[in-house]
Amino acid sequence: MADKMINLTLKVWRQKSKNAEGSFSTYSVNKVSTDASFLEMIDQLNQELIQKGDDPIAFDHDCREGICGSCGFMINGSAHGPLKSTTVCQLHMRNFSDGEVLTVEPWRSSAFPLIKDLMVDRTAFDRIVKSGGYISVNAGNAPDGNAVLVPKPDADEAFANAACIGCGACVASCKNGSAALFTSAKLVHLSSLPQGKVEGDKRALNMVAQMDQEGFGACSTTGSCSAACPKDISLVSIAKLNRAFLKASLNKKPEVKGGEAG
Amino acid sequence: MSKLDGKIPTGPIESKWQDHRFNMKLVNPANKRKHTVIVVGTGLAGASAAASMGELGYKVKAFCVHESPRRAHSVAAQGGINAAKNYQNDGDSTYRLFYDTIKGGDFRAREANVYRLAETSVKIIDQCVAQGVPFARDYGGLLANRSFGGAQVSRTFYARGQTGQQLLLGAYQSMMRQVDLGNVELRTRREMLDLVVVDGKARGIIVRNLLTGEIESHEADAVVLATGGYSTVFYLSTNAMACAVTAAWKAHKRGAYFANPCYTQIHPTCVPVHGENQSKLTLMSESLRNDGRVWVSKTKNDRRKPEEIPESERDYFLERVYPSFGNLAPRDVASRQAKYRCDEGHSAIPDGEAVYLDFADTIKRQGEAKIAEKYGNLFQMYDKITGENPYKTPMKIYPAPHYTMGGLWVDYNLMSTIPGLFVAGEANFSDHGANRLGASALMQGLADGYFVIPYTIGDYIANTKIQPIQPTHDSFKAATETVQIEIQKLMNVKGGRTVESFHKQLGRIMWNNCGMARNEKGLTEALQQIPKLREEFWNNVRVPGEANYLNPELEKAGRVADFLELGELMCRDALDRKESCGGHFREEYQVDGEAKRDDEKYCYVAAWEWMGKDKSQSLHKEDLTFENIKLATRSYK
Amino acid sequence: MSGFLSSSVGKKYLMGLTGLVWAGFVFGHMAGNMTIFVSPDLYNQYGHAIVSNKILLYGTEAALILSLLVHVGLAINLTISNRSSKGIASSVKASGSKRTPLAAQTMIIQGTILLAFIILHLITFKYGEYYETTIDGVKMRDLARLMSEVFSQPPAVAGYVISLLLLCAHLKHGFGSVFQSLGLLHPSYQGKIKAASWAYAIVVTIGFISQPLYVYMMS
Repeated sequence: MADKMINLTLKVWRQKSKNAEGSFSTYSVNKVSTDASFLEMIDQLNQELIQKGDDPIAFDHDCREGICGSCGFMINGSAHGPLKSTTVCQLHMRNFSDGEVLTVEPWRSSAFPLIKDLMVDRTAFDRIVKSGGYISVNAGNAPDGNAVLVPKPDADEAFANAACIGCGACVASCKNGSAALFTSAKLVHLSSLPQGKVEGDKRALNMVAQMDQEGFGACSTTGSCSAACPKDISLVSIAKLNRAFLKASLNKKPEVKGGEAG
Repeated sequence: MSKLDGKIPTGPIESKWQDHRFNMKLVNPANKRKHTVIVVGTGLAGASAAASMGELGYKVKAFCVHESPRRAHSVAAQGGINAAKNYQNDGDSTYRLFYDTIKGGDFRAREANVYRLAETSVKIIDQCVAQGVPFARDYGGLLANRSFGGAQVSRTFYARGQTGQQLLLGAYQSMMRQVDLGNVELRTRREMLDLVVVDGKARGIIVRNLLTGEIESHEADAVVLATGGYSTVFYLSTNAMACAVTAAWKAHKRGAYFANPCYTQIHPTCVPVHGENQSKLTLMSESLRNDGRVWVSKTKNDRRKPEEIPESERDYFLERVYPSFGNLAPRDVASRQAKYRCDEGHSAIPDGEAVYLDFADTIKRQGEAKIAEKYGNLFQMYDKITGENPYKTPMKIYPAPHYTMGGLWVDYNLMSTIPGLFVAGEANFSDHGANRLGASALMQGLADGYFVIPYTIGDYIANTKIQPIQPTHDSFKAATETVQIEIQKLMNVKGGRTVESFHKQLGRIMWNNCGMARNEKGLTEALQQIPKLREEFWNNVRVPGEANYLNPELEKAGRVADFLELGELMCRDALDRKESCGGHFREEYQVDGEAKRDDEKYCYVAAWEWMGKDKSQSLHKEDLTFENIKLATRSYK
Repeated sequence: MSGFLSSSVGKKYLMGLTGLVWAGFVFGHMAGNMTIFVSPDLYNQYGHAIVSNKILLYGTEAALILSLLVHVGLAINLTISNRSSKGIASSVKASGSKRTPLAAQTMIIQGTILLAFIILHLITFKYGEYYETTIDGVKMRDLARLMSEVFSQPPAVAGYVISLLLLCAHLKHGFGSVFQSLGLLHPSYQGKIKAASWAYAIVVTIGFISQPLYVYMMS
């Protein structure tokens, strides 16, 4: 942990609010410890800005250990910066060199309206989950945990997809602003488990409809989402989403009206 | 001094909860939708409570400070969740989990609550599996278990190193389903800044919309606080940046007693502090101590690289001091020993504190691949943070604040001293006594949310005459005004020091005097320093920006203001408790470096009542009685 | 199914399927044209055989036109909606491991040029000068002559080579993506699909490029 001190130039997107004009402001940040995380480097800059009477840079962050999904912005055009499988809170300054110029800007997507500076509103993801990203089971209704056997490969696949932290890097790195990777991860997580299969068709139809309604783009299979994903969600999940959606569309049955009588 | 009534049901411990459930009044299904319940916080306890009450048919309003409920700090829990399933046929039972938890908590928890927790644990696993939580499984498709500290059975269910995230997603998704069905109304990016009490009952909350700065009033028939713990009072902790005591503290100021504030858990294996600008600490799962050996150099101020220190010059202190438990000594004990070594000058880093956690022996024995399979993600995380490869060189670790056992006092029904105010999860003073066992926090949060609150809140509603109320009621107006005045006060100081610098300074005071080891001198000093710092804060803090838009500095300022009050109470509680128990270690009360409890005088819950600004809180005691488990000294030698 | 076709996923299915029709066609087209290497007569006979079978001819033409219209229509539709979904693009493009491959980024540009190419190609050949020849007593169009005239001019050859290289990029990304869009991707053959899409695109492109080059060198 022998740290060094480096100096950097940051070009940061500053925008007061959703409808205000935004532009880049240039800051020099000096004596940054290479042991510091990228967010700690911005903390350092913010402390200086506050002392000078300037407005500190707004950015979302919370757990700072790469799991809550709050943080994320573009560093030199890469979502979460240059390192694979990393969120900005886990990106440390030893990955940068003295004198480097870094362009820092928010996630860009119409479905993620900007709040301030580097902060955007990702509640569209919550609405996609709300539309069907769950298994319908009330508390107290569940059979014994071992009543349904789950083959290990299925459990592993469910886990690999459930690892998604909802940070939005997939959308930000996609030239179309597509949420296909996020949506597919949730769908594959639930549908690869036996208890999630019952509602599989409804889930696929509703989640895709919501994804489109939120204004996310279509998938062009460029693979940039998966490359930027801090949890390495695979592109294969999108293929599974597409397949599930086709199957669900073919299986769609007319709704039965008045089914609850009696 | 009033007697606190824990409302513990009578009868044998095994049937208390069942009998109580039968005896509680029910709300008829058609009437449930006429009752509104507010849930503040959407971590494991809050999201599960909101989902369950939505399922029952109550009108639920859920609030969180985050952008999305899925970002609550429960997400960061790594290890697992305990349940007395006995799937491994290794002799586990409800009673054994109950026993382990009481003993692990150093006999400072309520027996009846802990038994209910153990009893409920099995249903939690069933519920989570049904929700699609991808727990680890073996090749036969059955659920897998692992062992955790403080237990001799394998009862911990886990989803790799992300158990908290997976359980939270389960609860969050269930809640979002209720949002979709219209039973839960979700309001995110709202911070609770006051509790509204009308005719002695909790009837609503005042929140600040963090995006617009708007102060909103929300009314309800009952309020559930599930707002987590207060480890960030130490500034550096493993807790997330937004973790705060604010919601609980405002409730405390409105009459809810705060219990055992000095019970804090310092987790032994965290990545050490590296510099002035560090903002938080990262936990390395307890599971690492299964295969890692903890040591320091026998030479003081040894600046050699760890690989260059020969075997004979190393002190494997946990193995030396606790030959029977070795590296798997419980959290409080292991943390303390690491502190002793560093205090003696054996730290692994100059100008800082760290001990080695070494995997060399295991790697030699099992090979790197095997270790990678077990701990790959943790090793990678360590590498990312420190830039050092733990396969080649020992990890450096040091204890850090991690969890708070103290919190708002609640009775058996999880209701605070304010009728209608319920507290769930880490926010209440909980079932963990003076020390929490690994993998029990998730269990408690979900037990409270899925299986306790939904029952007890019905009983409260059915038994209480609740008048309809509007958010225009005078009490809401008054509370709103209080909140606005405080915000204006913060904005108007326009001083010279940043919020961060006050928080750091408070953290240092707390860590040095009310951290892993406490003594009368240090606590007395802290009790002088904190009020001074608080005064300086209110005269010299600088909050930039405006109050009527997004302002993270203002949010932080409000939270630090509350920590500056809580910190004082923690020190008072720690000073008052002249014994050592669990995470509360008073240096004056020890036998050979081990905690020395005083069951004669301190076998009680210390619940503090707010007496008004600039007045000291007054202490109420709830005596703890142990009818089932005999009080005994914990020993790990 | 109307919901399916109007969804982003359904549109990608259609994009993929119509692309596949053309991918199949270009492969057949390239393979058939290889007859030019044998002899101009065989090439003409091959062409004559195709136009003589009216069912095959009109059937194929109808399928191709329909596919092209859907493909192009959807491409325009998706490009517009994807641009609006993205809103403002980032001011810097990613480099290193998170870079988006250029071919994948520029499908719409490649497509536009290829569409222009297809139209020019049809004007040049299908609706170009009509020479006649008689082979084995059968009168037929002498396309080989037209081909040799066109490809004796270096600019035409260069134009074709450039267009065909673009086709290569388009086919590579298209063929590689279609399995994804149609939901047929699987981890066990993800790598093989990638290899196959390269192989396919290279074979088609080299095959096609070899023809004008051969004709140019022979002229």
